[in-house]
Amino acid sequence: MALIIKYIIAGLVRYWLIHIDYWQTIANRVEIATPLNSWKRLVEGVFLYDHNINPYEGDAFHESPIMLIFFHYLMKNVPYLLPLLFTTLDLLTAYLLFKTSKSFIKIFMESQAKNKCEVAEESYKLLLIESELEESAEYVLSTYLFNPYSILNCAGMTTTVIQNVLVAASLWGASTGHAILACAFVALATHQALYPILLIVPIAILLADVNKGCNKCSYIKTLLAFVLCWGFFIYISAYIMDGSYNYVYNTYGFILTVPDLKPNIGLFWYFFTEMFEHFRLLFVCAFQINALALYIVPLTLRFRKEPVLLATVLIALSTIFRSYPCIGDVGFYLALLPMWKHLFKFMQQKFIVGCAFIITSALGPTVWHLWIYSGSANANFFFGVTLSFATAQIFLITDLLFAYIKREFTLKHGSSRRIDDKPAILLLR
Amino acid sequence: MALRFISVLSIVFIGVFCDEFIEELFIKPLPPTHLYSYFQFITTSTADELFLHSHLSPRSIGEVISRFQVEELHLTLTEGQWRHDQWGYPVFDAAPGAELYAWFNPRVKNIDKEWRRLSATLSGLFCASLNFIDNFNTITPQMALWPSGSMHSNVNATTFLRYASLPREIVCTENLTPWKKLLPCESVKGFSALLNSRMIHNTNYHSIGIHVRKVCTKDNCTDTYVEIKQTVALVYDYKIINTNNWSFRYLFGQGLPGACPLASSSKIYVDVSSNDTYPFHLSPTPDTIVTSYRGGSDIKLAIYNISMSTEMINIGAKYNSKYQIQLNMPPPLHFSRHILGYGKEFGGIVTEVVNNYWTDIDVVVLENAPWWLPIQLSSLRVNGEAKSKLVIAQYYSPGRSRQKPYHLELLLKLPPRSTTTITIDFEFVFLKWQEYPPDANHGFYIGAAIINANLPTARNYTSQPISGVTYDSIINASQPWYPALFRTNGAMVSLPTPDFSMPYNVICLACTVVALAFGPLHNICTKELVLKPSGTSLSLIQKISKMFNK
Amino acid sequence: MFSVHVRLCCILVVVVCVTRSVGVQLPEQFQKSNHTNNWAVLVDTSRFWFNYRHVANVLSIYRSVKRLGIPDSQIILMISDDMACNPRNPRPATIFNNAHEQINVYGDDVEVDYRGYEVSVENFIRLLTGRVPPETPRSKQLLTDEGSNILIYLTGHGGDGFLKFQDSEEVTSQELADALEQMWQKRRYNEIFFIIDTCQASSMYEKFYSPNILATASSLVGEDSLSHHVDAAIGVYIIDRYTYYVLEFLEKVYPDSQKTMSEFLAVCPKSACLSTVGVRRDLFKRDPSNVPITDFFGSVRPVVITTEPIDILDIPKRKKTEHQNKTKVLEKRVYLPQFPMHLVKSST
Repeated sequence: MALIIKYIIAGLVRYWLIHIDYWQTIANRVEIATPLNSWKRLVEGVFLYDHNINPYEGDAFHESPIMLIFFHYLMKNVPYLLPLLFTTLDLLTAYLLFKTSKSFIKIFMESQAKNKCEVAEESYKLLLIESELEESAEYVLSTYLFNPYSILNCAGMTTTVIQNVLVAASLWGASTGHAILACAFVALATHQALYPILLIVPIAILLADVNKGCNKCSYIKTLLAFVLCWGFFIYISAYIMDGSYNYVYNTYGFILTVPDLKPNIGLFWYFFTEMFEHFRLLFVCAFQINALALYIVPLTLRFRKEPVLLATVLIALSTIFRSYPCIGDVGFYLALLPMWKHLFKFMQQKFIVGCAFIITSALGPTVWHLWIYSGSANANFFFGVTLSFATAQIFLITDLLFAYIKREFTLKHGSSRRIDDKPAILLLR
Repeated sequence: MALRFISVLSIVFIGVFCDEFIEELFIKPLPPTHLYSYFQFITTSTADELFLHSHLSPRSIGEVISRFQVEELHLTLTEGQWRHDQWGYPVFDAAPGAELYAWFNPRVKNIDKEWRRLSATLSGLFCASLNFIDNFNTITPQMALWPSGSMHSNVNATTFLRYASLPREIVCTENLTPWKKLLPCESVKGFSALLNSRMIHNTNYHSIGIHVRKVCTKDNCTDTYVEIKQTVALVYDYKIINTNNWSFRYLFGQGLPGACPLASSSKIYVDVSSNDTYPFHLSPTPDTIVTSYRGGSDIKLAIYNISMSTEMINIGAKYNSKYQIQLNMPPPLHFSRHILGYGKEFGGIVTEVVNNYWTDIDVVVLENAPWWLPIQLSSLRVNGEAKSKLVIAQYYSPGRSRQKPYHLELLLKLPPRSTTTITIDFEFVFLKWQEYPPDANHGFYIGAAIINANLPTARNYTSQPISGVTYDSIINASQPWYPALFRTNGAMVSLPTPDFSMPYNVICLACTVVALAFGPLHNICTKELVLKPSGTSLSLIQKISKMFNK
Repeated sequence: MFSVHVRLCCILVVVVCVTRSVGVQLPEQFQKSNHTNNWAVLVDTSRFWFNYRHVANVLSIYRSVKRLGIPDSQIILMISDDMACNPRNPRPATIFNNAHEQINVYGDDVEVDYRGYEVSVENFIRLLTGRVPPETPRSKQLLTDEGSNILIYLTGHGGDGFLKFQDSEEVTSQELADALEQMWQKRRYNEIFFIIDTCQASSMYEKFYSPNILATASSLVGEDSLSHHVDAAIGVYIIDRYTYYVLEFLEKVYPDSQKTMSEFLAVCPKSACLSTVGVRRDLFKRDPSNVPITDFFGSVRPVVITTEPIDILDIPKRKKTEHQNKTKVLEKRVYLPQFPMHLVKSST
């Protein structure tokens, strides 16, 4: 019952925000809408498509053709349902995350049971208790439903809402062992925004773990299914655009080469505004590798046994380092964090990170107004805020990982920090 | 003496090559406060296609035309804004700054390449920055521009058209100097001697132009000759010349030293229609006064035939009464354009077109937004409606950053006595720091919109019919429609700017943040946790205190 | 003037070509210039109205070299901003050298080759080294050869080792020296006379290492170059001291004057300029006191007149256009309506 009330309240808030007078302001905020996901550009793209102008000829539209015809159909036939659709999809995301976290909890319990023999006696009290974990699933739900980032994202009707549904669905598919479902959704999300391609690794591991059996066969099967799905979506998109693959330049090309330098909450915009033209390509490559490829191999090797943690961290890192991040992406990975409630007591920078989130969220719009509207600040102010926001997120993620290895260590060796009764400290070596 | 000799020679050559040079000056008082003077120097040439021989026609222009296979060319360099609602219509309207458009021969394979070469060549010829014309500011108008010369009958002319305008271009003596050198008499004799740089740049509006087209020799139009028309349009403010009793001395700083000896005709036309309401006295008395009935309006033209006299001719007007308040009849169609919005995030362009006439007027409105000002077609509103009945046809070519401008054309039917408002929204673009000009905070200019109107009346209309070469072709030239090409005023926006002194700082800071993630993640992935006795290593504070204790 | 009534009257311009020998001291009588043509590159690098004086500077030199005979086609004039037709200029289309409006240095006959945003470091270096984009018109190219004497005049805001362009970028003395060396290696000049009027001007020529360059600067390193006086009518300084005195000197020079470069180099004593005029002679092989000023500022060349008939055997014949072109294909042409009538009609 409480759950249903939560859904209703969250849904009403979203639906109401879409219908208030300030909706335009919300939908146009730089923190919420990027050139990639903004509602305005979606409308423009659909409008051009409707007028028989190829939306990929110009610079206005960067969604995939599948999204184009999906929204073209909706806007032509049921435009009044769109606010409802966005609200429902966001609630669906919350529901899927709730379901996913429940399955993840099962996975946690299983793996804990498997490794129980290695746990030091004094650390038994650290072990996970089912009831506490049940609670954390509800926290996941509440975080997604009532996080202002998620609410504003939905209210701005950005296509990140769709992306979140797709990613949540693929995670849910992976956690319950539906390989095809997981692959199809992650392929669709990849087709839309490219960065979810990272998720195929944790999903492959998860599927192998959940479905048991031949690990390598499972990995290969998952990868194959993903590649096939993705290829299929690319082909379908080209089919929609009358066999032309030119849309790729406006979707993946746009994400990868970062031609639009409109400010957002990420690191790219000011960096590439101020970049020297000679080094542009080098740094674009460096930054995209940082977002797409750099961390995936080492983290996979290190957290092979913890695909859920791997998934969380990869989602978060790709959000921080992607070319056009928005707070909808941030809201999504923040909702995954309550699953790691048991790590919180090992985290050291909770307070700093929390304060940084609050301060930057308040300062961002303020300095933006000062810069763009009142002309009394300049770009450096907003850049400073986005920089601190990114730093806070990085601290959050690295702190989470440190907390995890500390807990792992403590479970194995007990919580006493002493060697032969002499005080000792934990060090990385 | 030498000139006389040249002129005799020229007459001989004219017989052979049929080059002809005509100079004309049209003066129209724009009561109560302004005066419009319009020079046109027409050179016609039947030279062969390669322009190996030219005689009176400027060889440099001929070479440009033959080299780049240009069918028709219009280049104007303009400073100031023509006020259509107060001044009526000019003979040739021009966009503020530089404006260039040309039709190429259908044989040209790579039009964009030839277009760039053409603009680069003209930039050298006229000392203007036309070499800034590139694909990112060039459009191909579909409905607004039509060739005024004859065109191949079986091809679609718009395919071979390119249009670009540089609204920031300044116009000064360095543009006039090479322009004058194209004339056969340069500025020694003839009407061009009146074009004194100091005087013509002291006007409210000045525009120099060159218009090249191909005119049919016969009615069946199987053969053509090239017409090169060099124009100067000036609008004087009586306040600047300190008197409303104008004369050549006041306007141009000197009298007219006779006609150019190479000209086959040198005529001055003074529009004396306003004499009825706002009487003035012309001196010396004109040779003839002609009344022209055209499209429901009649105008009186005083015509002077200028001969090769040696004495200075100083045509002037003296107003009988000192000052009168005059109400102008507004022209049938006028328009204005402005920018909406505040801040540097979103804005809109508004174009208002007013139809004062009692019937419908069909117009084509061409909006041309640079790539850094992306307009959204979905936000287009005509009189506040997304789907207006006034729009008969529409063409839109979306822009692409750093490659292609946004280009919108609307064919509208303006209802009688109405104001039509066309609004479209845009978003400001954030450029790379090296893309900003040195004076980034000066603002960015947006080119004028083009309005092509099919006027049902010739009220305030001064343009020549396309079949006419000389200015007297306007006399009694009634047609069913009077096509008119107008430019609205340009506009200016200020784009948001980054801090230009920050590149190193920003690169360092952003890379530091990336490193903040890389460092810990690298540690986590490559190292393992161990317990170490805390006595062995000293903390930083301990180290420092130890250092001081020494 | 002279006129000879011969059937074949030829004026032959014989250019005394002395093979260039680097490093060998030439005897006095050979110290004649062996240049065949003169070019001038005159650059004003400052934008904005308060830099009016720099435009006046560069136009002063332009006026002088044009008056002394270098044609417009061989003068590359770069002006960063429009002062003459600037709305703030109360006297449109004029730029004066002093407040009493003595000389309108802008004149009625001026051709600016690079203007506004075109004046950039890249365009300047490209112009010097000749590495211009393929479509560049001739008037924007420095088409010099190994017989060209080039006058380079720069004015703007500078510092120790750099010269600012339009307040947004700068050229360093090393870059400039390398560009000149590239010109030398490409045989793009015979001799260069380099003048610079900026603050700390001499720092710009200190890095030069190519031969045959005579350089002078309005001030030494550590000194500012000062402006001459304010014109109350325009509200800004009207010209810089150094160039003011240079113009005063050049106004007295005529194409047949016997004035020498050493007189030019002494044109602005410290009492007048308030800064020390720097000169660098070591790269220049001739003695400036034997070099006529018209070697750089004018276009006066040694001319040998002969009345002997000369047979020119190989007259390059103009290619005859093939007759096939003459038989024109008659193309039917029409005047098109000036308005899309077909669209209007179809709708009604």
